[in-house]
Formats: sequence, C-alpha cells, structure tokens
Amino acid sequence: MNLKRKLALSDISGFALASVLVLTIFNVILQNSLLTQNSAGNALLALSSHEGVANAVTTVVVYFRGFDTLGEIAVLFIASLGIGLILENPHAKQGKKEESNFMLKTAAKLLFPIILLFGIYIMVYGHLSPGGGFQGGVIIASGVLLLLISSNNFHMPHKLIAILETFAGISYVFIGLIGLLLLDTFLGNFLPHDISQMGMLFSGGIIPIIYIIVGIKVGSEMSFIVQNLLQRGEHD
Amino acid sequence: MIEIILSYLNQDIVIQKIVLIGSMSLLLIGLFGLLTQRHIIKVFMSVAIMESSLFLFFIGSTFNKNFTAPILGDGHVDFIHMNDPIPHAMILTAIVIGMAVLALGISFAIEYFKLTSITDIDRMNEMKN
Amino acid sequence: MSSILFIALPLLFAFCVPLLEKLGRNGVAYASTLMQIFLAALAFSFFGLEHPQLEIIAIAPPLGISFVLDQASVFFVALFSSLMTLFSLYYLWQRKIKSYKNEAKFFILLNTLLASAVGLVLSNDIFNIYVFFEIAGISAYILTAYEKNAKALEAGIKYLLTGSVASIFLVLAIMLIYINIGSLNLALIAQNFETLPYNLKVLISLLLFLGFGFKVEIFPLNFWVSDVYEGSSTLINGLFSAIVVKAYLFVFFHILYLLLPSGEFSHFLIYLGALSMLVSQIVALKQTNLKRLFAYSSLGQVGLLFAAFSMHDSDAIMGAFFIVFAHSIAKMILFLSLSNIEEHYKSVDISILQKINAPYLGFIMLIAMLSILGIPLLAGFVGKFLILKSMALDGLFGAMAIILIASLLESVYYFKLSGYLTQKEERGTLLSLDLVQKILLSFLALLLVTAGTAPFLVLDFAAHAANVMLDAQSYIALILGAVQ
Repeated sequence: MNLKRKLALSDISGFALASVLVLTIFNVILQNSLLTQNSAGNALLALSSHEGVANAVTTVVVYFRGFDTLGEIAVLFIASLGIGLILENPHAKQGKKEESNFMLKTAAKLLFPIILLFGIYIMVYGHLSPGGGFQGGVIIASGVLLLLISSNNFHMPHKLIAILETFAGISYVFIGLIGLLLLDTFLGNFLPHDISQMGMLFSGGIIPIIYIIVGIKVGSEMSFIVQNLLQRGEHD
Repeated sequence: MIEIILSYLNQDIVIQKIVLIGSMSLLLIGLFGLLTQRHIIKVFMSVAIMESSLFLFFIGSTFNKNFTAPILGDGHVDFIHMNDPIPHAMILTAIVIGMAVLALGISFAIEYFKLTSITDIDRMNEMKN
Repeated sequence: MSSILFIALPLLFAFCVPLLEKLGRNGVAYASTLMQIFLAALAFSFFGLEHPQLEIIAIAPPLGISFVLDQASVFFVALFSSLMTLFSLYYLWQRKIKSYKNEAKFFILLNTLLASAVGLVLSNDIFNIYVFFEIAGISAYILTAYEKNAKALEAGIKYLLTGSVASIFLVLAIMLIYINIGSLNLALIAQNFETLPYNLKVLISLLLFLGFGFKVEIFPLNFWVSDVYEGSSTLINGLFSAIVVKAYLFVFFHILYLLLPSGEFSHFLIYLGALSMLVSQIVALKQTNLKRLFAYSSLGQVGLLFAAFSMHDSDAIMGAFFIVFAHSIAKMILFLSLSNIEEHYKSVDISILQKINAPYLGFIMLIAMLSILGIPLLAGFVGKFLILKSMALDGLFGAMAIILIASLLESVYYFKLSGYLTQKEERGTLLSLDLVQKILLSFLALLLVTAGTAPFLVLDFAAHAANVMLDAQSYIALILGAVQ
C-alpha cells in the first residue's frame, strides 16, 4: 500500500513537471506566428535549378548542406563501430535456435533479391524521385535483417561489406577534396551538371554519385548494426 | 455539416495548430516517461518519442498545403510554389543521428545487463557518491 | 592550405583504417600520429594570419556552411590539435606497457573526437554545430565505455542519456530559430535575433543553455561528470578535461556573444559560474578517489572559465584564454601521470601519492597542481589574476568573493596532495618512465612555466584574440560580406 502511494506520488509530480515544461514551450510557440516567407530554404530552391537535379531535397542534403551529410555518415560509422566493439564477444558460443519454418525461409529467399533491387532503385534514382541514399540503404539493411531472422545458417559476407564500406567512405572524402582542389570549395560540384540534362539518370554532376556512396555506406553500417544487435539475442 | 468541418480543418493555420498540439502531447508523453520510468529501455524509448515529436513539430510547422513537394515532375517544371526543402534535409540528418545514438545506448544497456543483471537506472550505482 | 583539412583528414583516416590495418599492428598508430603532427603544424601555420579566413563549403554563406578561422578560433584549434598529438605520442610509448583492445578503433575515436572538437570551434552554421556536437558526443560515449566493465558501461549509459536529452533541447532550439528567423547561419541569426518577440528570445536562449549546459558541465547540469570520469579509463579523462569541455565552452560562448551581444543574462551566468566553482570545490574536498577529485577540480575550473567568459569583457576573456591553456595542459599532465601510476601501483586512491616512488613524475605533477591553483610564476596565476582584476574593475565583488573562497578550498586539497607527493615516507617500488614520455611531460610543464614567467610573450596575441571573440559585428560582416 505504502509503496503504491509513493509510486503514484512520483508519477504525479513527474507529470506535473513535464506538463509545466511542455505547456510553457507550447504557449510561447502558439503566441508567435510560425511561417517565415523569406527563409533560406526558398533561396536554396531558387538556386536548385543550377545544379540540374530534379529533387531539391537531394540537392540540399547532398550538395548545399553536404557537409552535414558527411558528418552524419561519420556518426553512423562511429556508432556501428561502437556497437561492434561493445557487443563483440569472442567467447560466446553459437547458441542453438529453433529452426524457422519452411514458409518463412522460402519467402525470405524469394523476397531478398526484390528488396535489394528496390533498395538500389531508390538509391540510384534519389536525385529524380523521392528517396535517396539513406532510404535505399535502410531498405537494403531491412532485407539483410529478413535473411538473418529467417535462417540459422546465413552468414553475412563480412569481407565484401567491409570492402564496400571502406571504399564508400574514402571516396566520399576524396570527392570532397577533389572539389577543394578544382573549385576551391570542399564538396564542390566539379562534374558537368547541365540544366538541359535535368531529369535524366546521368545528371547533376557529383550529386547522384555521392548519394549512391551514402547509400552503400548506410546499407553496410545498418547491416552491421542489425547483425550485432541480433546475434547477441541468440546467445542468451 | 461534414463539408464545413472539413473545409475548416483544411486551412493552413488549423493544420499547423493540430500538428502543434499533437507533437506537444507526444513531447509531454516522452518527457513524462523520461522523468518517471526507471527501466533503462523505457527511458531510451522516452527519448526516442521526444525526438520524434520534435520532428513532427518541425515538419508540420513549416508545411504549406498549397505548395507541392520540392521535386520536379508531374507538370512542375520550375522550383516555385514548393515547400521548404531545408526542414526535410535537417530532419533526415537528425533522424539518422538519433537512431545511431539510440542503437549505441541499447548496446550499452545489453552489455551492462549481461554483466550485472540490472535494468533499473536507480540501481546503477557502481560508483560511490 | 585550407582549414577544412582539420575535418577531412581525420575522417579520411577513420574510413581508411581497414586498409591501414593491413600494414600490421603499428600501421594505424603511426599513420594516426603522423597525421596529427601534420594537423598541429598546419594549425600553427595559421597563427600568422592577418585577416580572418573564410572557408566556403559547397556554396557561399549565408546559405551554405562555412568555416571561419580567426584569431580566437585558431588558438583553440592549435591547442586541441597539439594536445591530441602529444596525447598520441604519449600513448605510443604507453602502449608498450598497456594497450587498449581493438587499438585501431581507439585511434579512430581519437581522430573523430579531434575532428569534431575543431568543427565545433570553426563552423558557423548552427545545424552543422549540432552535427559536430553529436560526433563529439558519440565518440566520447564509446571512449567512456571502452573498457567494457560494469563501471565503464554504467558511466557510458549515464553520459549517453544526458547527452541525448541535451541534444533534444538543442534540436528544439535550432528548429525554433529556423522557423522564426528562416536561416541556420550564425551571422544571419545574430542579425535578426534582436527582432524576435521577447518570450521567444527567452525560450530559445533557455533551450540553448540547457542543450549546451549539460556539455559545458555547468552547476545544476553537471551531476553526471564525476561518474563518467571515474568509470572511464584515466588516459581518456585527460582528453575529456583538456579538449572536449573546452570545445563546448568555446562554441557556447561564441553563440552567446553573437546572439546576446549586450549581455542580457550576464550577471546570472557569472554567478552561476562562480557558484559552480564553489560547489565543485566543496564536493572535491571529501573525495578519496583521485580520478573523482580531479574531475571535481575540472568542474571548478570550468566554473571559473564560465564566469570569466560571461563577463563580456575583453580583459576577462584574455584571462580565460590563459586558464584554458593552463588548465588543459595541467590536466593533461595530471591524467597522463595518473595513468602511469594506476598502471604501476594498481590504485587511484588518494593515499597512493604517499607511496609512489617516482621523483620526476612527482615533480611534474607538482608543477601542474600549483599551476591549477594559481601560484605565481605559473600560467594559471596569470589567468586567475586577470579575471579577478577585471571583476574588481567591474564591481562584481560578490562573484569575486565566491571565487576567492573556492580557490581557498581548492588550495586545501591541492596542498594536501602536494604534501603527499613531497613527504619523506617509505616508498614503493620505483616507477620508471620512458625517456620520450619524460620529454613530453617536461615539455608540457615547461609551457606552463614559460607562460607564467613571461606572459608578455603571448599577452598581445591573447588580447587580440579576446577582442576578436567578443566582436560580433565584424564576424557578421565577414560572413555576410562574402555574399557581395
């Protein structure tokens, strides 16, 4: 009884504190008009056509704010490295897990190529349609997750993925440095990006290339993260 | 009757207010969870809920229903009357970062649990105070 | 040479590690150290800079992200890159005794930490600052939990949780800024911040304070710091104390000077800093674990820095630069030596200082401690003197009294420690250092003594840097002038 009352009290005080904080923020936001017309985004939209990429979000993510994306890739890379470091346990023995049923195994095998293809499509057409490297990479990682949970004896091709990942990371920075050499701005768009090519698959200079690199990087890092988090569950 | 309600709801300002109220309620839920929950995974979940609420708020409050998505095609040949692309880019970055930190935190929690069998953050007092 | 290399090279190194690992055990270590030496040399080559340098990334500001290298930021960049280089060199010899598991990953984390600290200092885009904020955070979380024992993991979880909560506040602040001002560029934000409604201004300032407050370890928000220091390994504590906090401090005050140039909350922040110093020194008095003790001492020094930076006074900022310099070096010395002591005597209890048999190490540690205390002829004294002088000139006698009391408390335990070091007692087995390690430590100690005995050598530079840091108008003009 006593314990129950104590718990309720802490809940109520927590709720009161949270609501006071949130209501303050809510109130201030409500009192101020929310839309600004002359934002940086509109200026960037006006600039977007110079880069010859149909998807303005892609232009912003990969080119105008491309440095953020490099940082974001770095965060993902470090997180994947850290998860591998923390969860790696050489002494863990391969636990026995129940064999998953035939339906799931077959369906996973059938679906994986389609998921992979879809992921690559989203990645490659990131500069023309909604989507891009992050989305495509995550879709590919979800395919890997499907294979991992459906089959006991599926082993990720670690070497291949590590090579792809290294290659992607290095070439991202190198493209940036080439821009620095040729155009004097890091991540400058040094490849031809003619407006007349807008909407074609080969358009936009370095933008689609970088987005594909980002996709490879995200896909491999996410696959590593998923695999690390999953395999720990099996051993316990 | 329904049409009147719908046309009222279909105003920019109303849409923004609804998104604002909804995202702030989510923020409240997350903050409440952060302050009262003691299980480590629940605390991480609260943090994730708070992050999502902010993303919703940001997208909602920069959204203009008369404008299209900032992508050419389907008859749009110029970058005019389009929604602001910067919030999309920012949220894309913030989501990935939030996910990475969350996954790292969960891996810490898993390994810590394996060593000590503790999931309660109040009982995490390995260090003397 | 471009300042972008400070970010690009460490990241390139991090991505290259699987290739470098093919070169054998030492490949990664030597490549990392060589690169850091190059970066430190690059940073020093920028010291002769006449005019601030604007480095454009992709497109010109205010729309794009750009880096500003001026007199103030070059000081921090040079400090961080050279301290990281010295740390790596020290570790190259330390690892003969004790090396980390998965060393390649350790070097990756060191370099991403360096890149993010420099990025925080140089970037002029607030969302980019958030990205570096997270890179620094995530590298620090993993370094904290690196040893993978219960203590380290617990410290990692605490650090990560406070860090994520801080980043939520920061993200909300950035979103409100973008919605209401329509830009992410610091210069444009600074120009338009005045025009915002008062309550929104207060909310954004409060959210920014909460977001950065956790990271700059200011009083009510620094409950996690001592646990993180105790849980993580001793070498890494040196990095946290010397590099990570200083980067966050710089970016916090950089934003503060830009957004609130007239110093609206200045008194509140000064007293908060002084209070932070007092509380940490009181708590430090009863610590028996050396790592925790030094952690609280760090918090005290950060409180002093916080108070000094908050004064919007170029003399005080000059003093703060001296303290940043002196404290980073002194804490680096203390934690590096402590890691050797811990390795040899298997204890970090306060009484171990009575038993160590290492006259040279003891002497260097003594210099570092006295410099933190602010004994004349050492670098810490110059900083404290300048700060207290400008406080007296500004009539802030309350804050001055608090800082003096706190310094008195600080001297109680540091004199106790120095007593332990110099006592003639029965000593344990001899702890011998490698020659290179000795040279590195003496070099650091020599820097403290030089800056303390001949402050006039660097006074001009420090004064100029302080003025540059305080001068929001020319910063804005530099960035927005690039458009025309």
